[in-house]
Amino acid sequence: MLAFAARRLAVSLGLVWVVASLVFLVIHLIPGDPAELLLSQGGIAPDPAAVEDLRERLGLNQPLWTQYVAYMGGLLQGDFGLSLQDEHPIGEEIALRLPRTLELVGAAGVISLLFGLPLGVLAALRAGGMLDRALSAWAGLALSIPVFVVGTLTVLVLAQELRLVSAGGYVPLARDPARHLALLLMPAGTIAVGLGAVVFRVTRTAVLEVLERDHVRAAQARGVAPRTIIRRHVVRNALTPVVTVVALHLGSLLGGTVLVEFVFNWPGLSGYLVRAVEARDYPEVMGIVLVISALFVLLNFLVDLLYAVIDPRVRHG
Amino acid sequence: MGPFASRRAVLAGGAASAVLPFLRAPRARAATPGVLTFGLSSFPPSIQPWANTGTAAATVKLMIYRGLTSYAEDGSLRGELAESWQTVGTTGWEFKLRDARFQNGEKVTSADVKWTIEQIAAERSTAYFRAEMQKVERVETPDDRTVRIIMANPVATLPVWMASYHLPIISRNSPRGSFVGAGPFVLKAQERGVSLELEGYEGFHRPGLPKLKRIRAIAYADENLRVAALRAGDVDLIEYVPWQAMDAITADQNLKLDTVDGAFMFLVFNGSRPPFNDARVRRAVAHAVRREDLVRAAFFGRGSPLMQLPVAESSAYYNAEFKEGWRYDPELSKRLLAEAGHANGISCSLLSTAQYGMHKDTAEVVQQHLAAVGIRAELNLPDWATRVQIGNRGQYDLAVMGTAADSNDPDGIANFIDGSLAPSYVRSYGLKIDRITELLAAGRAEFDQGKRREIYREMERVAIEQAPIAGLTWRSQGYAMRRQVTGFRNLPGALTFYSGLTFETADLA
Repeated sequence: MLAFAARRLAVSLGLVWVVASLVFLVIHLIPGDPAELLLSQGGIAPDPAAVEDLRERLGLNQPLWTQYVAYMGGLLQGDFGLSLQDEHPIGEEIALRLPRTLELVGAAGVISLLFGLPLGVLAALRAGGMLDRALSAWAGLALSIPVFVVGTLTVLVLAQELRLVSAGGYVPLARDPARHLALLLMPAGTIAVGLGAVVFRVTRTAVLEVLERDHVRAAQARGVAPRTIIRRHVVRNALTPVVTVVALHLGSLLGGTVLVEFVFNWPGLSGYLVRAVEARDYPEVMGIVLVISALFVLLNFLVDLLYAVIDPRVRHG
Repeated sequence: MGPFASRRAVLAGGAASAVLPFLRAPRARAATPGVLTFGLSSFPPSIQPWANTGTAAATVKLMIYRGLTSYAEDGSLRGELAESWQTVGTTGWEFKLRDARFQNGEKVTSADVKWTIEQIAAERSTAYFRAEMQKVERVETPDDRTVRIIMANPVATLPVWMASYHLPIISRNSPRGSFVGAGPFVLKAQERGVSLELEGYEGFHRPGLPKLKRIRAIAYADENLRVAALRAGDVDLIEYVPWQAMDAITADQNLKLDTVDGAFMFLVFNGSRPPFNDARVRRAVAHAVRREDLVRAAFFGRGSPLMQLPVAESSAYYNAEFKEGWRYDPELSKRLLAEAGHANGISCSLLSTAQYGMHKDTAEVVQQHLAAVGIRAELNLPDWATRVQIGNRGQYDLAVMGTAADSNDPDGIANFIDGSLAPSYVRSYGLKIDRITELLAAGRAEFDQGKRREIYREMERVAIEQAPIAGLTWRSQGYAMRRQVTGFRNLPGALTFYSGLTFETADLA
């Protein structure tokens, strides 16, 4: 088992290095000079001498491989470097923003499970009925509406027209817990509309499949109470695919909450990444992508380990 | 299998989770009078006083810093840290400083002015005014309250430069890496990418100002959310009001809108190669575009046609006789193309950016109008960073650009029409028109206003003939605020981005 874990860990670290190198290469290859951009804000011509000076100060006039070695060297020491825009430590900024994105994604996951799971079970129990058809139609609709449309409509109706909630923003939990939660609910709820529909569909399918299994029929034959059958024999068994699918979606949301963060002014990691790309802030882009990819790889690593624990054939195969 | 009893619980659970977002949130804005929440269009990448880091940063700089001069509500130049100024000899200006204090409590002295100019002109400086300040021959400080700036050549516009938000006076005793200014608000805290907290400075040199106790500036990059935040009461004042929202804001009884035609859109040319190295072809482009369509399509009718150089009508240097210098005349365009040897039309690239809707929409309308006279323009719409680089390197034929002038003085548009300056995406590439450069230099060196008017009239005549750029539209630049906000004004013309100056008189009942 230990050898298996070590092998997987080595592969994971290799993957992170490959991702970091690819991102370094790509971000440097696409057009757009950070020094030029930094001094060209507001549509005004920068002084070419000032641009050159800035390039030199930022080390952008060094050969690409020199920049690469310097960056990787820093990473090995746990140093993400400084922002090209204001020399702010990138590690600090990621440490500040990553928890916000994780919180947003986590809250979205909880909300989607809260309504997707019970409605999925209900639809499966009423398969083919009116309720099932209505819920399935709703799920189709929820899945097909782009997240920015849901977000914009939410802001329009709840904040602008009814004035029930703030139009977005962020307040740290420590400063004002109630307001923090209120501001979290709208973006998390927006993500949960689509994610909840996914949970609903997977749950419905899984429950339908489990309902046909022998052990469920045996329990019914034994006269076990229907509620107990559902709780102990059906839902519990149907949860495995649901959890897998939700975990995968949450993983992809780590770097994919850009639109929601933008629409609700939630200062998370995705929005930070977009602004870093726009400004061609190479160290920022590298740092953020590296953290996201490392989390992905870590997630996969843990799943691999879990599979190996569950099924010994995996670690021997 | 029959219906299980969990149905009710399931429905209740689903309903409960569905109503979670409907929980009423506490109002975002503080109810304290004198505390204003301001919706910024973006978080300033840096508030280094002398660097140009965009208009959002400029607005914040106007809260924290002050220069020797600044602008009054009507756009006229006024004394700020200097109470008066006059010319000295043929190339010098003498400024008399008022009794003002920096936010560290120290007096603003001539030594601080000298130090500031030296920092800006320094070798490794990234200051926007570095080139201009390098033309300062010497700075004399005969006493604490008098500073003489002697230029290498006569510069009539020095007091205007000194009003720039890129040229504030900073205390020479500022701690290393920070900058102590003499503005009406002190930056107390900031959360990078999110918000800035500013507090009124009690030692500000204008008695009774600032009126506000605090300003909380929150960045809302999404323009629609910025408007929603205003309408929901989260913020009291927003900048960069999107054009599509202006009608709704005007109709809202709780809000007021303050707009001016300050910024403008225009076309720049690659003059280093055919076909746009020929003035006739450039003029053909200038006469091919029906500006009213642009105002409607890109700015929802919020703007006005620009058929001459972008000098505001309120400026003393506005030339009404050139108002329709580049009027819409497709037949003239075709004739000019034929004269230039392009009777069958031309093909070219048209650079803009998809990142900003107004740039993209402008390019699309221009493309259609050019096609009507035989100019087949292929759109290139990369992101802004790429567009800037392509523009600086001259890898285009024709490009859409939008910005505001440095000031309402005609020298404020030199950046866009002086081809002798270094290549930049904001002006035509490789298009040097000597006469325009000469006239700009003459206007800068002339102190007599009447003579300056004549110089700039001649310059505009040459510009209409040579088309170093092609003006397209003025665009409305708007601030929207709750009715309770008083004292904040959108400054006229090119000074719209200087409106942050009026935070010192702004108040919130």
